[in-house]
Amino acid sequence: MTSGSASQDKPIPEAAYALGLPLVLGVAVLVGWQLAVRLTGISPVIVPAPTDIVRSFGSIAGDLLHHGWATGSEALFAFILSVLFGVAAALLLGFSTLAFETFYPGLVVFQIIPKIALAPLFTFWLGIASTSRLSCAVFISFFPVTLATMTGLKRADVNALRLCQALGASRLQTFVSVQIPYALPYFFSGAKVAATMSIIGIVVGEFISANAGLGYYMLRAQSYGETAHLFAAILVLCCIGLFLYIIPVQAERWVRRWWWN
Amino acid sequence: MAGYILVDHVKKIYNSGKDAVEAVSGVSFVANKGEFIAILGPSGCGKSTLLMMCGGLEPTSAGTITIDGQQVTGPRANVGVMFQDSTLLPWKTVLENILFPVKIQRRPLAQYRERALQLIEMVGLHGFADMKPHQLSGGMRQRVAICRALVTDPDILLMDEPFSALDAMTRDEMNDALLDIWERYRKTGLFVTHSIREAVYLADRVLVMTRRPATIIADIKVPFSRPRDASINNHADFNDICDQLRRLIEHKRTAWSETKAA
Repeated sequence: MTSGSASQDKPIPEAAYALGLPLVLGVAVLVGWQLAVRLTGISPVIVPAPTDIVRSFGSIAGDLLHHGWATGSEALFAFILSVLFGVAAALLLGFSTLAFETFYPGLVVFQIIPKIALAPLFTFWLGIASTSRLSCAVFISFFPVTLATMTGLKRADVNALRLCQALGASRLQTFVSVQIPYALPYFFSGAKVAATMSIIGIVVGEFISANAGLGYYMLRAQSYGETAHLFAAILVLCCIGLFLYIIPVQAERWVRRWWWN
Repeated sequence: MAGYILVDHVKKIYNSGKDAVEAVSGVSFVANKGEFIAILGPSGCGKSTLLMMCGGLEPTSAGTITIDGQQVTGPRANVGVMFQDSTLLPWKTVLENILFPVKIQRRPLAQYRERALQLIEMVGLHGFADMKPHQLSGGMRQRVAICRALVTDPDILLMDEPFSALDAMTRDEMNDALLDIWERYRKTGLFVTHSIREAVYLADRVLVMTRRPATIIADIKVPFSRPRDASINNHADFNDICDQLRRLIEHKRTAWSETKAA
């Protein structure tokens, strides 16, 4: 076999498939969308073409930045608060049987409420200020963190717990040196859920009452029939969501590196 | 010297009322100081439960266990334990894992560090002190677990099928390592196993247990002197003892199934 034919036979690297196939699909969808809009002549108020959306970015870049910043910073803050609050609750409920038995049933019942439905109440209680939206978002997103972390605390290796028992470890020693490290991977999966939930909470809060933020901007764009602007705002929301999601993913990577040396 | 560990009519009953399951039924034996006793029996016969009761990790339902004149009511500081799984904490290095009991029992760390390093040398893990458990083989991990059980220099070592999860060759290797350790640090050992050869190879005495509810049906002395090595495997007496133990276990098994059928 000559070297020329060998290079022709060279298989396409797997990474090219993993990256290329979704990319091809994405482009195909966009092209299809564009063609469908142009060929059917559907009104851009109902469905704008991708090129319309891209063009609108130029004219409203300042608005998107302004409102995106408002939403992004609040969502980030809500995420941080959810993690702190969620972990604190998990540690309390995981450590104290009394606290668990007192609060856990109530917490579960609480979860049955579709919490988004409570958003108007927060506005009613806390007004139009960002406290209202933050409370709404934290309220929605802390529970996944609590639940996941608590599950992790309970899933600590049975033998490791036995070992602690055999060594005469105190409840606190066992909790800190075995249960908490074993709960870390669970905590991160909870934090990932909280990252996506907190942005939902903020946007819902903005739908109800705000004078800035992408949720507010989208309602305004909708009332003016500027659907392309609405799509542009959604794109910005996706970017914020992605950024928030990357935080726990990256943190988990660091912890794993430390964990596995 | 006699009667270091006294197990006196010990019973273990799980649950109560109609659901009551008798796991251990009236077991008595005496372990002398420095003796290595193997507790041999089929899987799930309650021998681990018995061991855990000796370690104070499980309460007894009836009867008493006394160690060095003191009744066992909970875990004791002078007992080292080994489980079937090495139970190393995956985020700690070999050295940190070995020093874990020292940390938990708030002993002076600097003082035990030296000992931990010596133990690492002794079990042949030179150069592995800073590795994490996932970088070690199963046999190496059990060696670390041995070091951890020995680091506080306990008087008693409780071993719950510590090598049963290892492959046959590693297991033989670990048995030799344990014999070595026994020469150097003579402890009083209770070793739960379902391998007849392992029991005879390691122990001074073999207690044979039946299926649930477990009782001890035989207490066989192993006549080989220490230090021992693999050559005793070929000794006629060695095989005789193994045969005798096998017959005891099989006899009991058939007797048991006959009563079941009746």
